[in-house]
Amino acid sequence: MADLQKENLLLEVLKNHFNDKIFDLKVQRHQRVHLRTTTEQIEAVLLYLKEKLGYKHLSHISCVDWIEENRFELVYILWHPEDKINVLVKVDVDRLNPVAPNIDYIWPQANTYEREMREMFGIQFPGLVGRKELILEDWDDLPPMRRDFDTLQYVMENFEFRSGREDAQNVRETIAKRTGEEIPEFAKKYSR
Amino acid sequence: MSWFNIKGITNPLTALGQVAKKPHTIRFPYEEKPAAERYRGLHYNDIDYCIGCGNCAEICMNKAIDMVPVEGIEPKKGDSGLRPRIDNGRCCWCGLCVDVCPTGSLSLTREYIFVSPNPEDFLWMPGISNPDGKDKRSWRSNDLNFSINTYEREKMPMLDPKERVKSFAEVVLGYEEDQARREAQRCLSCGLCTEACPEHMHIPEYINAIAWGADDDSLRIIYDNNPLPETCGKVCTRRCEEVCALAKRGEPVAIRWLKRYATERALNADEIKEIVNPPIAPKNGKTVGVIGAGPAGLTVGYYLALRGFDVEIYERNSRAGGMTMYGIPKYRLPLESLDKQIEYMKKVGVKFHFNTEVGKDISFDEIYQKYDAVFIGVGLQDAWKLGIEGEDADGVWSAIHFLRRVNEGERIDVGNRVVVVGGGNTAIDASRVSRRLGAEVIMLYRRRKQDMPADWEEIEDAEAEGVQIWTQGIPVKVITDEQGKVKALRYVKAEMVPDPRGGRPRPVPIEGSETDIECTTVIAAIGQSADYSFLPEKYHDKVKMNRGRIIVNEWGQTDDPKIFAGGDAVNRVADAISAIADGYRAVKGIVRLLLGEEALKQK
Repeated sequence: MADLQKENLLLEVLKNHFNDKIFDLKVQRHQRVHLRTTTEQIEAVLLYLKEKLGYKHLSHISCVDWIEENRFELVYILWHPEDKINVLVKVDVDRLNPVAPNIDYIWPQANTYEREMREMFGIQFPGLVGRKELILEDWDDLPPMRRDFDTLQYVMENFEFRSGREDAQNVRETIAKRTGEEIPEFAKKYSR
Repeated sequence: MSWFNIKGITNPLTALGQVAKKPHTIRFPYEEKPAAERYRGLHYNDIDYCIGCGNCAEICMNKAIDMVPVEGIEPKKGDSGLRPRIDNGRCCWCGLCVDVCPTGSLSLTREYIFVSPNPEDFLWMPGISNPDGKDKRSWRSNDLNFSINTYEREKMPMLDPKERVKSFAEVVLGYEEDQARREAQRCLSCGLCTEACPEHMHIPEYINAIAWGADDDSLRIIYDNNPLPETCGKVCTRRCEEVCALAKRGEPVAIRWLKRYATERALNADEIKEIVNPPIAPKNGKTVGVIGAGPAGLTVGYYLALRGFDVEIYERNSRAGGMTMYGIPKYRLPLESLDKQIEYMKKVGVKFHFNTEVGKDISFDEIYQKYDAVFIGVGLQDAWKLGIEGEDADGVWSAIHFLRRVNEGERIDVGNRVVVVGGGNTAIDASRVSRRLGAEVIMLYRRRKQDMPADWEEIEDAEAEGVQIWTQGIPVKVITDEQGKVKALRYVKAEMVPDPRGGRPRPVPIEGSETDIECTTVIAAIGQSADYSFLPEKYHDKVKMNRGRIIVNEWGQTDDPKIFAGGDAVNRVADAISAIADGYRAVKGIVRLLLGEEALKQK
């Protein structure tokens, strides 16, 4: 296993430059460094990484819906082609008022990722130029990648069943019928 | 010299470096290029491993999976007989069905091309429609640590083995609330367990109620068809856990401990009544007499009382519970716990006559005349004898008599070395009780350890408490001293001979291998038999027997329509939950007999 010299050096540089504006700074493993920051600082952090440290490439921006903690987590994944290091920059966004800064002036390809997140999670990026619709058409429901969107209910309302599927059985009912078990009415809400 | 550049000539020559390499162009004849190792292509299901739990169909967010019966697959305990069928037109290859599959039979494959002009063709059974998919499996749920199921059971807090042998204090301490919730959330709610349970309890429902924080509902569901849930929560033989879908690759859901958790929420009989609050039908004027207050008799008493019958239970001992009272040691089922459940039954309206032995204090004839129906739940009271020389000596016990005396509160002097003969749960109980009485204990079993019919958890607990298990030994003689007291037990070593007819291997004595174990007490725990002397001769042609067991029909009824029977005296499983199942069956039989088929349908 390679030593983590390069990764640790990067940690030092970032720590000295940003002090308490970034946190959770750690080397996750070989070629991967992880840090967190706030929506106010994200542009400064990304610009510094790109312009001063050579993290030229934005691989991806992903989004996680932490519904229990009432936040979205944006993950910016950067890549240094010479040092061969991935940096994961994470930012929390309030779930009730999801606004994050638009960064497509740093990397133009961020435009597509941000449009996708706007459509799928409902996160707003002020100043983002681009058609409202990316993949979905005429969508007026909850953004579908949010965890409180009921996919199953949507599927049941919008798609017909193929013919030939009428013989499907419920496992619990089939077994109860076979054994003569009588499940009381009030208990049925706990059946799956 | 811009018109001449030497690179114009040399650069094309670098292509010569590619001459020996394999070209990237498509070969002729066409060579198939395999997809990536973890490619998410069409499904494959290993039909023999699949148990038809239906979790794949349940988790599918596109409703792409149906569970359907398949020809050639017979439903049995632990297998619903159904198999998944996938509508490939709906599938989005998210792989959740593979992640949730508790057996690991379902997988995706590297196969991803399927073309058909007929839309019906996209509905197919993985594994049956594509048997060749087995070699192309790609996305599988192999790593249990990264599974969305939890395969590890919540650890049950227990007394330290060194503490246990000092007293008859209860060994298992029970789950805390957060532990119970976590354990209940592991359940996938497939319901395969309900088929293995003799009483078909509503297991997924009451576990889900615990998982959702509705302990009261849980207790209500449990009491729907089990009147002794706390007893079962502590000592059930839990055949449900053997077929748990999670048990295929991990530890089964602790169904027994969760039932125990739910029942222990109610601290006394009043609280049980308050929570369960069963509707009690107005009196219908019918009377039923029950002989024996064991689990079977109590079940009959409880559910008939709820339906408006006048039920009276006759018990020759001073306490109710039968074998759960007198056979099971108090460190597994404390007296208070049993009393709480009996107290609740009295509140519902079951009447008891203690210290009343049928055939002595009251004749069977009298009961038969007095009631509209009679239920016999007398259990097995006599022990099988070892059938060896010297077994009448002072210091030789049968396990049930020994346990009974201990449970009545007597302190029996077993000396310092006890040999228990047998390998079942009763033998384990007798051994662990003897340890608590201060003796060194040796269990002598004639087969191997893996053949022991006792619960594996009980075996482990016994060993932790210092019980030595000696296997492949057959007792041949009890050696006594001058006063007629046990001095030693002589046994022969046995070797296991495979049964040519395919049964389990038989122990065959090895000639000349006689060995003596010095001991002060010998306890035989090799089986029990019934005592039907209370039943007068004239009933014998109606109440028929087969090898010591009463023969009954599907309603628990003997050939005399008025006489019902159940419990250990009827079934060959001889545990509490089968006795309760027998009792419940007889309840339906008695309702059908006295109130008619219509009344059976109303609940």
